[in-house]
Amino acid sequence: MLIAVPPLTGHINPALSLAAELLLRGHEVAWAVHRDLIPDLLPADAEVYALPVESNLELGKRSSGVRGLESVKFFYEQFCLPLARASLQPLQDIVQAVEPDLMICDHQMLAGALVARARKIPWFTLASTNVSILKMSGVIDAWIDEQFAGLQRDYGVPVQARPDFSSYGVIVFSSEALLGGKYAYYEAPYHFVGPALTHRPLAVEFPWQEMRSDALKMLISLGTVSRDRGLRFYEVMMEALDGLTVSDSSQSRRSLQVVMVAPEELRERAPANFIVRPRVPQIALLAHMDAVLCHAGHNTVCEALSFGLPLIVAPIRDDQPIVARQVIDAGAGLFMRYGKVTVAAARAAVEELLRKPGYRNGALRLKESFRHLGGASQAAGILERFLHEDSAPSGHTRTVQPGPSHAVG
Amino acid sequence: MSCIIDPAIIRDITAVIREAVAEDWIQEFEIGANTSFNDDLDLESVEFVTIAAGLQRHFGGQIDLIGWLSTKSFDDLIALRVGNIAEFVSDRLVAGGGQG
Repeated sequence: MLIAVPPLTGHINPALSLAAELLLRGHEVAWAVHRDLIPDLLPADAEVYALPVESNLELGKRSSGVRGLESVKFFYEQFCLPLARASLQPLQDIVQAVEPDLMICDHQMLAGALVARARKIPWFTLASTNVSILKMSGVIDAWIDEQFAGLQRDYGVPVQARPDFSSYGVIVFSSEALLGGKYAYYEAPYHFVGPALTHRPLAVEFPWQEMRSDALKMLISLGTVSRDRGLRFYEVMMEALDGLTVSDSSQSRRSLQVVMVAPEELRERAPANFIVRPRVPQIALLAHMDAVLCHAGHNTVCEALSFGLPLIVAPIRDDQPIVARQVIDAGAGLFMRYGKVTVAAARAAVEELLRKPGYRNGALRLKESFRHLGGASQAAGILERFLHEDSAPSGHTRTVQPGPSHAVG
Repeated sequence: MSCIIDPAIIRDITAVIREAVAEDWIQEFEIGANTSFNDDLDLESVEFVTIAAGLQRHFGGQIDLIGWLSTKSFDDLIALRVGNIAEFVSDRLVAGGGQG
């Protein structure tokens, strides 16, 4: 099997979990990825076919000022589509060398989807965010369709409405309970498997001995793309939460300890109740947290919800405003305006989140929705079943199980 | 903005925005015709639903902001300013014979 992913941590992480699961089951897994951009993310023994880096594709550095709707256009015009165009030929060569039985393509690695179609190789889509399956806005969706049509025409494959979604199957690392049924889905054979958190190979050091057992603990993280956008947000948080004592859900007064993922330079200015690190072992840390304040990246949100943790969501870009809305509509968290939040508003939001049990209950309901899903293991099972059926004599008449075509309500 | 907009309409729209956002910073934030929703106010597109409802309450049912936004281009939506909405509201009020 050949996995094709863009050089973005949030897209590689669920694929890593899936790859580890497939290896355990005895499959051969190779990666096609821009290795130079992500030297630390893949395990050392991974079979990697490096895609050449034609331009500076480090999204965070190039788009530091862009937010909201503008970042959506920026993402496609300056990242997703150039990445696809630059990767088509090299990926085609890799596919010719590897001859995979199956390709596993991230939904924003369009080159994978198009090469699989052109070379008639069965392929599955990995959707690392649930927002991409939603019909959100006629204007934006039509614009994206146009970009995708141009890409397909230039590569010489028939134009399809959503070339990022495979008709063989789309694995969504999310749950329908989080989606909330507000918007209709694009037509595709979806498999909702929940977040994939297992087999993360990366070890990050962390000062565990500094964690206080008596304090309520909150993780603040803006994710890998937006971490270095600017210091204002972190400075507001440090001022708002410096030495804070809060009420927990049983109205006991407890001190607050904050673990904040932020640039190294803030470390020496951090208040005594803060642990500031540029990187943290996020999943291991979540087991010790009481709440999370984040950018509403789909991965971080699902990871927090897997531990039943209520959230403050401060979306910045891309699909984050929609994921944030899902968290709020599910009753699992509160909104914070990343670029505008004041010290008083930040403190009030943290106090409310920890004091009112409703948010935690909302998060626990979503945790329960994930518990019924199997994450990477379920995803691996889906791929194995497909390969088994596909190689069986009746495989050619196999029908694809249609997913729910429309949201309810 | 290119044409002249009644400052009273800008004031009313500003009040609708402040009420819809309902956060401390926006009560002091200077809002005018040139204020951009994406860059200056950090508003998300999903928040237009609340603003649209506020505009209808204030100016009447003929003000269909969401319907009007759906005729815009992606670039128009990114660049949307308070003045654009004021022009739209003014046009509809004239077409609809004024405030109800």
